[in-house]
Amino acid sequence: MAADMRLPIARKPVILSVPSFDRKDLVVPGDVITLDTGFMRGHGTYVDEEKLTASVAGKVQRVDKLICVSPLKTRFNGEVGDVIVGRITEVQQKRWKVETNSRLDSVLLLSSVNLPGGELRRRSAEDELTMREYLQEGDLISAEVQSVFSDGALSLHTRSLKYGKLGQGVLVQLSPSLIKRQKTHFHNLPCGASIILGNNGFVWLYPTPAQQEEEAGGFYTSLEPVSLPDREVISRLRNCLLAMAAHKVLLYDTSVLYCYESSLQHQVKDILKPEVMEEIVLLTQQKLLEHES
Amino acid sequence: MKDTPLSNCERDFLLKAIEEKKRLDGRQTYDYRNIKITFGTDYGCCFVDLGKTRVMAQVSSELVAPKESRPNEGILFFNIELSPMASPAFEQGRQSELSVKLNRQLERCFRNSKCIDTESLCVVSGEKVWQIRVDVHTLNHDGNLMDAASIAAITALCHFRRPDVSIQGEEITLYTPEERDPIPLSIYHMPISVSFSFFQQGTYLLVDPIEREERVMDGLLMIAMNKHREICSIQSSGGIMLLKEQVLRCSKIASVKVSEITELISKALENDKKARKAGERCGFAESMPQDRITALKMDETPVEMKDVTEKAEDIVKKSEEPPQTYPLNTRCTAIYPLGPHWNALDFRHVKNNFNARCLIFGNCLQLEIPPVITLGETQSEKSHTQISRVGLLALELHELHVTKGPSLQWKSRPYALIRNMLRQSWGGGVCKSAMISPSNMVIVVNGEE
Repeated sequence: MAADMRLPIARKPVILSVPSFDRKDLVVPGDVITLDTGFMRGHGTYVDEEKLTASVAGKVQRVDKLICVSPLKTRFNGEVGDVIVGRITEVQQKRWKVETNSRLDSVLLLSSVNLPGGELRRRSAEDELTMREYLQEGDLISAEVQSVFSDGALSLHTRSLKYGKLGQGVLVQLSPSLIKRQKTHFHNLPCGASIILGNNGFVWLYPTPAQQEEEAGGFYTSLEPVSLPDREVISRLRNCLLAMAAHKVLLYDTSVLYCYESSLQHQVKDILKPEVMEEIVLLTQQKLLEHES
Repeated sequence: MKDTPLSNCERDFLLKAIEEKKRLDGRQTYDYRNIKITFGTDYGCCFVDLGKTRVMAQVSSELVAPKESRPNEGILFFNIELSPMASPAFEQGRQSELSVKLNRQLERCFRNSKCIDTESLCVVSGEKVWQIRVDVHTLNHDGNLMDAASIAAITALCHFRRPDVSIQGEEITLYTPEERDPIPLSIYHMPISVSFSFFQQGTYLLVDPIEREERVMDGLLMIAMNKHREICSIQSSGGIMLLKEQVLRCSKIASVKVSEITELISKALENDKKARKAGERCGFAESMPQDRITALKMDETPVEMKDVTEKAEDIVKKSEEPPQTYPLNTRCTAIYPLGPHWNALDFRHVKNNFNARCLIFGNCLQLEIPPVITLGETQSEKSHTQISRVGLLALELHELHVTKGPSLQWKSRPYALIRNMLRQSWGGGVCKSAMISPSNMVIVVNGEE
C-alpha cells in the first residue's frame, strides 16, 4: 500500500472573515439570549432562572415575540419547494420511503411521480405491482418537497422532467447548513460537469448530458460509458466540495466554480491534503470577496 | 433512528473485493482484528476491544432463593445491552431482533455448556444460593458483537471474586472484602465464540466481519468452542445452505482461533493479577492517562521500512526526467529548512568545506555561493559548475539531515532531483526556476545572463 509522507508544518489559523465575537446573534449552548421575560421561547432555547438561554449552537431568530435558535449542525428540516437528492430505502404499498438526511424518512407517493411515457392517468393496481420496476431500494432520486406532514416527514414529488432517477455520477454527503438557498439548484458548470445542490446536503455531480433528449418521465438512465476527461472533472469537483465543506464555505454554483478554478494548479488527489485544501479555500474566499464588492 | 442505507456501489465494491479475497482493512480471510483486554477497578469488570468494536462486561453477585426445580444450584443470569452509544441504529430500551439473538446466544454459550460450577454457588440448599449476573454493555459497534461479548463475559467471570461465606449451624456469615479475601468462581473451561460470515450463497467466507461486511453478508455461522476442542454451541442464521465440509472446516478454523484467544485472555488475567499484587493502580484511573477510554483513538500503525531505499531508487530510475530547464546564473542560493536537531557544528562544516555564506532566517538556512570564476571556462560552463556546487551542497545538507534526523527521510528522491539538475543542458536566456522536492528542500536559482 503506497503511503504519502510529508514533513510536519505548523498550520496558521485562517482568519479571513469578520471576527465572530462581535456578532450578537450567534450563540453557543449556555449563552443568555435575553433577560426580558416577555418573549416566548421557541426551538433551541430554554428558561434558566428567568433567563432565556440557548441550548444549541447557532443563530438567534426573532419573529415578533417568538425567539428561537436555528442550529448550524442539524438534520435537514425541509420546507415546501426544497430540492432534495435522496435514496430509496423501502418500497411500500403505493409509496416509496426516501432517505434524505432528515429526522424521519421522506415519503414519495406513487401519485406524485411521472409515469414513463408522460401519461396522465389514474394509478391502477397494476402500477402498484410494478412500482419496483421504476424505483428500487438503493436508487438515487432528485425530487422536490411538496408538503410537510404533521410529524415532520416530508412528502416529495417528481412531477417535472428535471426530477427523477439519477444515473451515473458521484454523490457527496455534506451538512445541510452549507447549501445556500437559491432560485435554481440545477447547474451546468462551464468546466464540463453538472451539479445538483440538494438542500438536504446531498450534492450530485454528473456528466452534462450531450443533448437534451426527451426524458421518459425521468426514469430512463443512460448507461453509456463516461469519458476520462469528464470523470476527471467530476473527481476534481468532488474533492473541491470536500475541501470547502471542511472549511465551512457556503456552497452555491459560483463558489463551487471558483474553487474548481483555484484548484486547477494541483493534482486531483493532492486537493485532499489539508494544506492544499487551506490554500485553495483561501483563494476561493478571496475571489468571492472580490466578486461581491 | 434508522441507519443510513448502504449505497449500491458500496455494496458492489465490497462483494467484488471479497471475491478477490480482499478486505477493507487489509486483513486475510481468517484473520481476527486486534484484541485488547483491559480491566476495571472492581473485580469482574472487563473491557474488550475487537478492532473498533468495544464492549464492557460487569459481573456482580447476590444471595437469593434458588429455583424450585434446582434447590442446590446457583443461578446465572446474562444480559446484553445494545445502547445507542454503540450505533445510531440501536434504540434505548427497545428489544430489537439483534438484541434478542445476542442474549439467546450468550445464554446458550455459557449456561448450557456448564462452564461454571453452579453447585459450588450453593450456600444453604433450598434457601440461599449465589446469583451471578453478567451484564454486557456494547460501547461501540463495528461488527461482530457476539465474539466480543463472549470474550468479555468469560474474562469478566474469570476475573470476578465473590465474597466469602461461612456457615455455623443456622447462622450464615457474609464476610466483606476487608475481613476475608473474596474467592474466585470455579470455572471449568472457557467457551469462546467465533463468527463466520458467508457471502454469495456460501461461496466465500470471512472470519470476524466488520460492520460493513455484516451488512452485505448472506448468513452467519457462530461456533462457540473451548480450548479443549469441545464445541459448546453452534448457530447458523441468515438462511444459507451450508455443506458438511464447510461446517467442519469452520470448526477447525475456530479451534485454532479459540486457542489463540484463550492464551490472550490468560495472559491478560495474569498481568492484572501481578499488577494488583504489586499494589499498582488499576482500572479506570489507570486507563485515563493511557487514553484507553476514548473509543476513537487511532492506534499507531507500524510502517514497513526495510527495503524502502531500494524500492525508492528503483522507482526513481524508472521514472522519466523532469522537463529541461535552463538555469543560468551568477549566484546560486539554496534554502534549506532546519530541523530541531541542527547545531553550530554543522554550519561550520558547511561553511568551511563549501566556502558558502550562511544566513539563518526563520527556521531556514540560506546558503549563497559566490560566483566562481575560473579561467578558461565559458559562461555556461561556469553556471554548470555553480549548479553542481550548490546541488552537491544541498545534497550534503540533506544527508546530514538524514543522519541526524528522524528515520523517515527518503534519501533517494532529492538526490535524483539534484542529479537531474546536474545533467541539465544549458543555453541562453533569462530564466527563473524554483523547484520544490518532496522533502521540502527549495532550490531557487536566479537567472541572469
